[in-house]
Amino acid sequence: MRPDSGRLSVDAARCEGHGMCEQLAPALVHLDDDGELIVDVPDVAPSEMAQAHAAVRACPVAALSLDEKAQTPARTGGLPNR
Amino acid sequence: MTTATVQSDVDIFSEETMRDPYAIYASLRDTGPAVYLSRYDVYAVARYAEARHVLGNWEDFSSADIALNEQFNGYVGEGILRADPPLHDHLRGVLASRLAPRAIRALRHDIDERAANLVDSLLDRATFDGVTDLAQAFPVQIVGDLIGLPAKGREPLLELIDANFNCFGPLNDRTMASFPKLQKLAEYVAASASRDALSEGSMGQAVYDAVDAGHVPEEAAPWLVMTYVTAGMDTTVHALGHLLWLLGTHPDQWAVLRDDSSLVPSAVREVLRYESPVQLFGRTVRSGWSIDGLDLPAGSRLAVLYGSANRDERKWENPDRFDVTRDNIEHLAFGYGLHGCGGQALATLEGEALLRALLARVERFSVGEPVRHFNNVLRGLESLPVTVVRG
Repeated sequence: MRPDSGRLSVDAARCEGHGMCEQLAPALVHLDDDGELIVDVPDVAPSEMAQAHAAVRACPVAALSLDEKAQTPARTGGLPNR
Repeated sequence: MTTATVQSDVDIFSEETMRDPYAIYASLRDTGPAVYLSRYDVYAVARYAEARHVLGNWEDFSSADIALNEQFNGYVGEGILRADPPLHDHLRGVLASRLAPRAIRALRHDIDERAANLVDSLLDRATFDGVTDLAQAFPVQIVGDLIGLPAKGREPLLELIDANFNCFGPLNDRTMASFPKLQKLAEYVAASASRDALSEGSMGQAVYDAVDAGHVPEEAAPWLVMTYVTAGMDTTVHALGHLLWLLGTHPDQWAVLRDDSSLVPSAVREVLRYESPVQLFGRTVRSGWSIDGLDLPAGSRLAVLYGSANRDERKWENPDRFDVTRDNIEHLAFGYGLHGCGGQALATLEGEALLRALLARVERFSVGEPVRHFNNVLRGLESLPVTVVRG
C-alpha cells in the first residue's frame, strides 16, 4: 500500500538555500529573510504529498527529506502494512 | 544464483565516441543499470535513476575514486572532492555561505553589467567566436575576480584546468599528456592564490581566514582555493559555448525566449541537461550494491555518466529534443547530494545574465560549424563562429 502522508524535514547543515523546494512547494516550506529554510508544514497531508515529493527531488544537495508513513491499517486485526 | 555480468567494450573516451556520445549512452542504458566497461575496469552507471541514487548516497558510494586512475586520486589526496563528512563538511563550509544563492544574488547587478558590457563589445563586430571571444572571457573574469586572483597572469588557466579535468579520466594518452601540466597549475596557485596575492575580501582570502580561525589546516588552504578555481572556469565556459550553439541551431527556441524572458532559468537548465559540461565522475561501492539481479561487490568502481542520465528516456520525455520550456529542474549536470556542485548558484547566474544580455540586444543569430573540444570528463566546444542580427 502506498504511504500517503509523511514528515518533511531539512538538514540545516546541508541546506544551502537554493530554494528549489520553495518554488515547488510554497505551501510547505519557505526561505526566510536570511535565506534559511523553514519547514512550515512538517506533517504532510495526503493532498500535499505530491508537492512534498517534488520539493525533495529538486533539492540539489539532498538536504530535504520526507519520511513516508504508512497509513494505519484499515482492517481491524490486520497485519501492519509494510 | 550467479548473475552474468553485463559488459561492453565500447570506448567512451575515444574521439569518435565523444563527437556524438548519445547513441552509445543509449545502448549502455539499454544494456543494464550498471554495465562493466571491460577496457577500463569500471561500471558505467548510465541511467538517470541509478545515477541519482549513487550520487545521493555518499554513505553507500564513496567518492575516493572520483578519478578513474589511482595516480590522480592520490594527487587529490584529502581534498574536498574525495572527502567524506566530517572533513568534507569542514571544507565545504568555508565557502558555502559565500556561494549560497542568498549571497550570490547580491552579485547579480554586477554580473548583469559585465554581461551587458561583454555582449555590447562583441556586437560592434559582425561576427565573433562564441567560445574564445565570449564563453571563455566571461567566467575567467568573474570567477577570477571573486576568488581574488591577480588580474595579470590568468591566461594559461583554462588550458591548465582543462588538463586537470583530463586527469579524472583513465590512464589514456589524454591523461598522460596532462600530468605534466599539473605542476604548472600548482605553481600558478602557489604564486597567485597565496595569502599575499589574493585580493582583500575575496573568497580566496576567506579560505585563509578559515585557517586563522582554526577551521581548516594551513596546508589544505591552497588546494581548497585551487579546487574552486578549477571547478569554476572551464565548466562554465563549456556551458556558455553550448548555450550559444544550441540556441543558434534552434531558432524556434530563441524566438520562444525572446517572447518570454521568464523562461531564461529553465533555458539555462535545458542547456545543462542537453549538453552537460561534466560528463562523468567516479564513485566506489563501499559494501556491495545489488541492482536488478546484478551484484556489485564492495570496491567496485563506478563511472557515473551525468551526460547520459540527462538524456535517459526512462526519465525524460523526448530526451533528445532541446526544449527550453520543459520541466528540467531535476537535471544532474551539477551532480547531486553531498558533492553536488558548490558553485551552481554562481554558474547559473552567469548563464542567465549572459542569456538576458543577448536576448535584450540580438534579434536573431546564426552559428557556423563548431569545433569540438576533447577532454576525458568535460564536454565542450573549442570554437564557434557566430553572426548576429541586432535588434
